[in-house]
Amino acid sequence: MKRKMRGRGVAASWYGIARTATIDRAGAWAELDDGGTAKVLTGVTEIGEGILTLLSQVAAEELGVKPEQVTIGDNDTARSPEAAHAGATRQTYMIGNSVALACREAKARLFDEIAQAWEVPVEDLRSFDGFLWAESTNKRITMEEAVALCKKRGVVPVGSGSFTAHGTGLDPVDGHGSPWQAYVFGTQVAEVEVDTITGEVQVLGIWAAHDVGRAINPRGVEGQIEGGVVQGLGQALMEDYQTSEGHPVTHGFAKYILPTSLDVPQINSVIVEDPDPLSPLGAKGIGEPSLIPTAPAVMNAIYDAIGARIRDLPATPERVLAALHEKRRADAQTA
Amino acid sequence: MPELELDLTVNGRRITRHVDPSYRLLDLLRDDLALTGTKEGCGAGECGTCSVFVDGKLFKSCLMPASKAQGTTIETIEGLSRPGELTPVQRAFHKTGASQCGYCIPGMVMAATSALRENPAAGIEEIKERMGGNICRCTGYTKIFEAVEIARDVIAGTLPETALNPELTKTSYIGHNTRRLDAPSKVSGRLKYAGDMEMQGMLHMQVLRSPHAHARISRIDTSKAEALPGVHCVITCDDVPGEDGFGVFVHDQPIMARGKVRHVGEAVAAVAADTVRIAREATKLIAVEYEPLPGLYDPEEALRPGAPVIHDYAADNVVKHIPLRKGDIETGFAAAELIIEERFSTQQVEHAYLEPEAGIAYVDHDDVVTVISPSQNITHHRHMLSTIIDKPINKVRFIMSPVGGGFGGKEDMIYQGMLALSAMKSGRPVRLVFTREESIMASAKRHPSRTSYRMGLTKEGRITAVEFSMLSDGGAYGMSSEGVMRKAAILSCGPYEVENIKVDTTVVYTNNTPSGAFRTFGGMQAQFATESMMDMAAEKLGLDPFEIRRRNMMKAGSRTHTQQTLNSASIDRVLEAAETASRWEAGPPNVRGANRSDLDGPDTRQPCTLGARFNEARHQIEKAKVAS
Amino acid sequence: MLTCDTYLMPTSLKEALEAWAAAPKGSRLVAGATDILPWAREGRGGDVHLPSMIDLSRVTELCGYEVQGDRVRLNANVVYQVFLEDKTLIRLLPNMPYCAAWFADDQIRQQATLVGNIVNASPAGDGIPPVLTLNGEIELARLDHGAVASRRMPVSDFITGPGRTEMAPGEIATAVILDAMEGYGGSFQKVGLRRSLVISAVCCTALIKTGDDGRIIEDVRLALGGIGPRPIRLRDIEEMLRGRQMTSELVAEASLKPAEMVASRSRVEYRRAVTSGFVEAAIEDALVTLGAPKPEPDQRETLHA
Repeated sequence: MKRKMRGRGVAASWYGIARTATIDRAGAWAELDDGGTAKVLTGVTEIGEGILTLLSQVAAEELGVKPEQVTIGDNDTARSPEAAHAGATRQTYMIGNSVALACREAKARLFDEIAQAWEVPVEDLRSFDGFLWAESTNKRITMEEAVALCKKRGVVPVGSGSFTAHGTGLDPVDGHGSPWQAYVFGTQVAEVEVDTITGEVQVLGIWAAHDVGRAINPRGVEGQIEGGVVQGLGQALMEDYQTSEGHPVTHGFAKYILPTSLDVPQINSVIVEDPDPLSPLGAKGIGEPSLIPTAPAVMNAIYDAIGARIRDLPATPERVLAALHEKRRADAQTA
Repeated sequence: MPELELDLTVNGRRITRHVDPSYRLLDLLRDDLALTGTKEGCGAGECGTCSVFVDGKLFKSCLMPASKAQGTTIETIEGLSRPGELTPVQRAFHKTGASQCGYCIPGMVMAATSALRENPAAGIEEIKERMGGNICRCTGYTKIFEAVEIARDVIAGTLPETALNPELTKTSYIGHNTRRLDAPSKVSGRLKYAGDMEMQGMLHMQVLRSPHAHARISRIDTSKAEALPGVHCVITCDDVPGEDGFGVFVHDQPIMARGKVRHVGEAVAAVAADTVRIAREATKLIAVEYEPLPGLYDPEEALRPGAPVIHDYAADNVVKHIPLRKGDIETGFAAAELIIEERFSTQQVEHAYLEPEAGIAYVDHDDVVTVISPSQNITHHRHMLSTIIDKPINKVRFIMSPVGGGFGGKEDMIYQGMLALSAMKSGRPVRLVFTREESIMASAKRHPSRTSYRMGLTKEGRITAVEFSMLSDGGAYGMSSEGVMRKAAILSCGPYEVENIKVDTTVVYTNNTPSGAFRTFGGMQAQFATESMMDMAAEKLGLDPFEIRRRNMMKAGSRTHTQQTLNSASIDRVLEAAETASRWEAGPPNVRGANRSDLDGPDTRQPCTLGARFNEARHQIEKAKVAS
Repeated sequence: MLTCDTYLMPTSLKEALEAWAAAPKGSRLVAGATDILPWAREGRGGDVHLPSMIDLSRVTELCGYEVQGDRVRLNANVVYQVFLEDKTLIRLLPNMPYCAAWFADDQIRQQATLVGNIVNASPAGDGIPPVLTLNGEIELARLDHGAVASRRMPVSDFITGPGRTEMAPGEIATAVILDAMEGYGGSFQKVGLRRSLVISAVCCTALIKTGDDGRIIEDVRLALGGIGPRPIRLRDIEEMLRGRQMTSELVAEASLKPAEMVASRSRVEYRRAVTSGFVEAAIEDALVTLGAPKPEPDQRETLHA
């Protein structure tokens, strides 16, 4: 056998969006502010996934301002409406939609006043990127002017939104139920190189196709896929929290081994959009699901390369080599 | 204490300081000079969040005694550019979305800057090697590499500076690559995480943790610790005024051990003092008498009759069992032409967010008990804390500080209660920052799993029945275990329509480090088994792995494992997208790697052979030889 | 947490030796300090308090290196990164760059010293096997009636077990003296759980020189790390190869022997399996650096079969 053997494997996956087997909810407040800027308040903040940027895009789109003109308020149980927790692949779906609803209400307040002031049907009003205009007219003002006009008429353009996802609990006997209203699916292909002297596996390529409903920030979606893939790769090949009679053995990062820049495959993301029909934005989510297919795709690829099936994670060099030797022994016996 | 006199230049300014001789360069920068863009991710030189330039070379400041910096010139992330400006490297990070949680990012920017200073023409392999000492847990590094290559080319003048500009849009901000709003504060190190925040009069907390996996506590004597000068208060479970207990599904965990400890690293008592060092000294003066109890370390042992009981309310040690039944598996297996039986296991996994747990608590002018921390679930935390400290909800306030990575690991209220109690007891703001080791031993992990799998198929590859049984080790406390088992069960058999299933997922208590929420919440463990089975079946049936998946995939109108009818299912589209993108060569998964023609394409990376900087040089020489 | 009462930075060897002699019991010498800070943490040494830390990094006599005939004297403050960057050392110590590329990361290599690695005597210390192939001798200085005295001994004798050396109280390691091996090909094989910042499960290094035709092995040196209480030199295999015509069969034959030498207390089977392959790969890679073509993998396969 050559020292370096290559192979490919595939794995598919599915996942549910937002809290499981329960009703999920999130609230938000929005205000079109002086200077044509906007304030959005909701009870959740960034855990790194890019939610603040995404919310600013949603608010900008809904209100007709620029994302950088949107201020997202601090996440504070005493100052902002409840949006529940930052997890469960629910940020885009739950908070994104509640912010969209809040912004729609704020914009409706503004548009009502402008339509009356301009004496045009409200349906003809449009706003985007800091401007507000009436279709088929030459009426066009900045959002700064629009907010000032609205306030001069005695109205502060504010809105609130609450978004609900309807999941149901599982039956305690047979488990039947509808845990989520939105599902996503994903498939990944892995290409690996196995070193048959050491058992070391290098993952050289990942092709990751994931349905996200609608990609509000495609680069952000890719970032979530890439991060999920590398966490999946870590679990596939090296990460292993160990205890001995309850005492941690892997105390720090010298013993608990994480992927570094040298372990990362080229990740080729393919974003698939199957919009969610039950929500204003049509977006679903990607945070968690991107991790799922990586480890099985890598194990299937290792099998393709050397014919050894790894059933117990992680596939450390030692385990891979042992599996390879086991296979050779078995082959020798049957031969 | 004898002091050390240091005289050095930091970010262009001459600094003289008298410091503790035990100081590391990192302590000098963060604690004395308030340069908190330099982070402490591990304290052991393993992560690179603390990288700084010393006389032009990049070092890990947690590994450098402060004395070694005497007379040197230091450059930190704050010194790379003037306030309000960003370097090309920082702008490129902003452009590509290279920062997510941002905690590793100052170190990453420093490492990227160093790589390009050392070799402005470095190729990607060399860049990766030069950045190999910096860990990122969020991004998968890919956008970081992209940023460094753009920055390199802009600095070299081979790419116009406009390459760093934001993308424009004329029609919509939905679907637009809007640059991250939080990136400038992250790439410049300006963003303050909880551990970077300070308040007037702030005390420092340290926690005494259990050295035993399972033991009764017969006595805790805090008097010596309380008497130590500089100590403001010591707290134990006796300081809890309300109903103690937190958790996501079952409130089985006390703020600090009550009567017994159930895992190594469980909080037993905590000290708030003027300095971390005093608080640490004081924890060693707390006398705890333990009576060790027999421990449970294996989930299968936990289910045996007569096994030690970890929680009185659960005499069988079962935290949760989730059953799914659909159709009739006996009929399904009877119709099968191939039956495969296998066992799979997955390990406990650490979240390893680069920001260790940290927080500040204080009682405000309106008697509102306030906790600032990178909590992933402030809504639920305030509910639980209000019960624990016996105050109305509006007198409890949680503020979510920027989260330096969570992945589910910051959903559990494992330290915020201690902070609140000590702020209430001392009347002062109190800050706690975990060490990396503390974070690893005290926070929940991904549930390890053992899965027995039996799958029946027709020779056409249609699945006729699945029997799936997963046992998981929940560790000492319930945390998110119930939800994780539920999700594992719901997702168990993957995106395939199976008429006859019997699925059981069970999680038990042991005296191991607790398991809790972790990105995919049980979905990964279950589907690792399913997707391995699919390939094993495909090999036996001589089917291409995409084909066997298509023959079983869910469609609009399919009934899921929980008998929900789907309105749509995009599995067909993602299968096709992955197959096309990867230029997949069809064929059964029968160890055909050696004969494939779809390998080594332009969309793969080269295998890492260390030494890119001299390998590349040799490669150039060889190329020159060939050319001549 | 590491704490100390005093942190001294002597600038001359005499000053350092005097400070070391006068230091209270329990004090420590440090060079790069990249080992002691991670050691003083939970799960390892726990909180550690030292009366005095004596930092040698500014001792003038310990800085830099010198080529002395066919030997290279590396003073104790020479850090790993130098092996990747200094053209003279790359030429004279042909396996050190490959070792350094695997050692920790670029940042730690700026701070960690080769002599520190030897003195720590870890069974998995990456720098030690190359030093064994380079016939390294360690130089130890002490105070003798107020004057600086020194002695030398082979590193192979100096390291007696895991973390154990022949260092006497009051001594400071001042240099390691190595053979200059210009014209040799060098290589380093390592496996751990990843490729950067990782402890070796097994490592192997080779130095090789061939005759003008590139076929006769004039000289070869091999050493292994991570396989027992201390790294070892593979002298019997070297003996077997020296003067012989290079053939794949010969290399394959040589690779069968070292497995017996694995004496680790854990993962023995794995280490044995890797060791055989590594010796072969180390020889091949070292030959490649001399300009030999990379052997066809399929040829090897038939040889082993």
